[in-house]
Amino acid sequence: MKYASIKKEDLNIWLEYLSGRARLYAPRKKENLFVFRPVKDISEIALKYIPTILPPKKYYFPQKEKLFKFKIRPFKTAKAIKEFEDFILFAVHTCDIAGIQCLDVIFRESPEDPNYLNRKEKMIIIGIECLEYCDKHANCTSMGNHVPRGGYDLMLVDIGEKFILHINSEKGEKLIRGLTYIKEANDADMLSLERVREAKKKIFKEELNGSLAKIYETFDRHFASPIWQDVGRRCVACGNCTSVCPTCYCFDTSDEMKLSLNEGMRYRIWNSCQMEDYAKVAGGEDFRKGRDSRQRHRYYRKFKYPVDKFNRYFCTGCGRCTRTCMAEISLIETVNSLLAAESGTPERPSASGVAERGEAK
Amino acid sequence: MKKQFNPERSRGAKPKVAFFDFTDCEGCQLQFANMGQALLEVAGLVDIVNFREIMSEEGQDYEIAFIEGSITTDKDVTRVKKIREKANVLVALGACATIGGVNGIKNRAPLELAKERVYGKKSDTINTINTMPVHKVVKVDYFIHGCPAYIPEIITVIKCLLMGRPYVLPNYAVCTECKMNENVCRYEKDQECLGPVTRAGCNSWCVNNGNRCYGCRGLVDNPAADGQKDILLKYGLKLEEILQHFTLYNDSMGEKYDQAFK
Ligand code: SF4
Ligand code: SF4
Ligand code: SF4
Ligand code: SF4
Repeated sequence: MKYASIKKEDLNIWLEYLSGRARLYAPRKKENLFVFRPVKDISEIALKYIPTILPPKKYYFPQKEKLFKFKIRPFKTAKAIKEFEDFILFAVHTCDIAGIQCLDVIFRESPEDPNYLNRKEKMIIIGIECLEYCDKHANCTSMGNHVPRGGYDLMLVDIGEKFILHINSEKGEKLIRGLTYIKEANDADMLSLERVREAKKKIFKEELNGSLAKIYETFDRHFASPIWQDVGRRCVACGNCTSVCPTCYCFDTSDEMKLSLNEGMRYRIWNSCQMEDYAKVAGGEDFRKGRDSRQRHRYYRKFKYPVDKFNRYFCTGCGRCTRTCMAEISLIETVNSLLAAESGTPERPSASGVAERGEAK
Repeated sequence: MKKQFNPERSRGAKPKVAFFDFTDCEGCQLQFANMGQALLEVAGLVDIVNFREIMSEEGQDYEIAFIEGSITTDKDVTRVKKIREKANVLVALGACATIGGVNGIKNRAPLELAKERVYGKKSDTINTINTMPVHKVVKVDYFIHGCPAYIPEIITVIKCLLMGRPYVLPNYAVCTECKMNENVCRYEKDQECLGPVTRAGCNSWCVNNGNRCYGCRGLVDNPAADGQKDILLKYGLKLEEILQHFTLYNDSMGEKYDQAFK
C-alpha cells in the first residue's frame, strides 16, 4: 500500500491514536498567527494555517539546548540528555519539510551533530499539502517546494470528503497499520488526487522572475550591487529573519554555572549573522561590517553558497523572513530586483573571488 | 593601580558587599529582595554590609559596591568617586545607573529652567547638574541594565564577579529573545515596539507580558536609529512621539540616536 485514505470524520480518532503513540506536536492559533505546540486538545489543531512564527526546527534544533553538565572540582562531564523521546510533527507544510531536509544535510556533515541525529531518529513527520497560498510572501513554487518532494513519513492531501495519505516510510506505515478506518486508496481517490494537483497548477505560479539557475548566476554577479546597500539601510538588525528561517542553524555555546560555582551546564543557543558582533574576531576585526553586508550574507547563504557546497538551495520559500520583517524587506522583491538589474545592466565583475575569501560557511 | 578582586579569597572569607543609592526609586534593590531562594544562596557567598543609603562611604569596609541611581548633583560626583576609590569592584545596577534612565528627562531642558520648574523660587539654593550614568564619572566593572533589573541577569552578574570573570553584555536586539520566545511581534499587530534597537538580556520580559519594549536596557552599541525611525513613521507615529520613545530611558545617551533626528 503506497496511498491510503481516511474520511475527514475519522481524523480525530486517528489523532487520538497518534497522541497515544508518541508526543504529538501540531500547529495552533496564537493571536493572529500560528505556532507549533504540544497537542493538549485535538480540537485546537489548525489544519489550515500560514507558516508558524518559528518553524518546527525548534523541536530538532531547540532555541536553547542543554549539551552537557560539568563539575569543576573534581572535573567531570556528563551528557545532559541521555534519552530522546519519540515525537510526531503533525501537519507540516511541504516548505518546512524542505527545511528539515536542508538541516539534515548540515547536521550530517562531518563532524555529525549527535543531538540532532538522536532527535531526528525519534522524529516522525506527517505533512499536509497546501492547496492554496498561505499569503503573498511565500515563494515556495519557485523553490519547487509547493508540492511534496519526500522527506516525510506520511503526507496528507485534502481531496474533499477524505484525506489521501501518501505513505513514504516504514515509520509512516506503522502509524496506520491495522486501523480499520484507514483504507487503501481506490481508483476514485487517486483520480481526485490528480484533479487536486491539476487545480493547484492554476494557483501556484513561480514567484521569482527567473529560474533558480538564473538566480544563482545573478547572485554570482551582483555581490557589489547597490541593492544590498538599500536593504542594509532599511534593516534594523533585529535578527528576526534568521530566527524564523527553517534553514538557519547558527549557534553559540555558553556555560552557565550554578550558584555553588562548582557545577554548571553547557548550552547551545541560536545565534544569527545579523548580529553586530557575529563576524568579529579577536583583535576587533569585523569581517562583515555593516548591516548591508550582513543582509547580503543572509541571502547568499540561501541562494549561492549552499548551492556551491551541497548543490541545494537553502530557501524553502516559506516566506517567514518577509512576514516577520518590520522593515518590510521582502525576499521576493530583493531577488526580483537583482534579476531586473541582471537583465538591465551590463556585466559586472564576478563575485566568486570575493565570496570565497571573505564569506566562509 | 586598582586592586584586583580575588575570587579565590571568596572561598574563605566572604567578600563584603555594599549598596549605594543615588537618584533612583530603589526598585532595583527591591529586585534583590524579590530573588527568593537565590537570595539565600547569594547571602551564603557574600556578606551584605549595607543595603541602604544611610551608611557613610568611608565608614565601613566593603569590596564590592553596587551603585543604584544616576548622578545628578556635584555631591553625587564626589560621593561616587569616593566609593570607587574604596571598592575593588563597582557594579552599576539598573537603568538609572547604567544609562541615566528616566532621570535623563532633565537634560531635555536647560538646567536653569529645569530647576525652576521643579523648585520654583527656591531653585537657586539647589545644586543640580545634567543627569549622567555612573560610567560617565567613574569606571564601572559590571553593568546590570534594566528598569527594574532582571533577576536572572543579576544572578548571572553576581556569579561572574565572584568567579572574577567579565560579564559580556548582549550586543543584539531584544527581538532575538522575543523571537526565541515565539511571541507574536507587535508590529504584526500594528503596534510599535523599541525591541529592534534595544539591548537584549531581559528575555523580552515586557513583550512576553503583553507590553511593548520601552528600551529600558539602553540601545545596542550601534542602533539602526534611522531604520527604526522609518519603521515607526510607517506605523503612524509622529516624529515627536518617536523621539519620546527613544528618550524615555536613553536621553543621557543621546549621541546614539541623535544622528537619526538631525
Ligand atoms: S527581519 Fe528585517 S530588519 Fe530584522 S534583521 Fe531581518 S531584514 Fe533586518
Ligand atoms: S530565506 Fe525566508 S523564505 Fe527562504 S526559507 Fe528562510 S525564512 Fe523562508
Ligand atoms: S515585539 Fe518588539 S521585541 Fe518582539 S520581535 Fe517585535 S519588535 Fe522585536
Ligand atoms: S522588554 Fe524592553 S523595556 Fe522591557 S525589560 Fe526588556 S529592555 Fe526593558
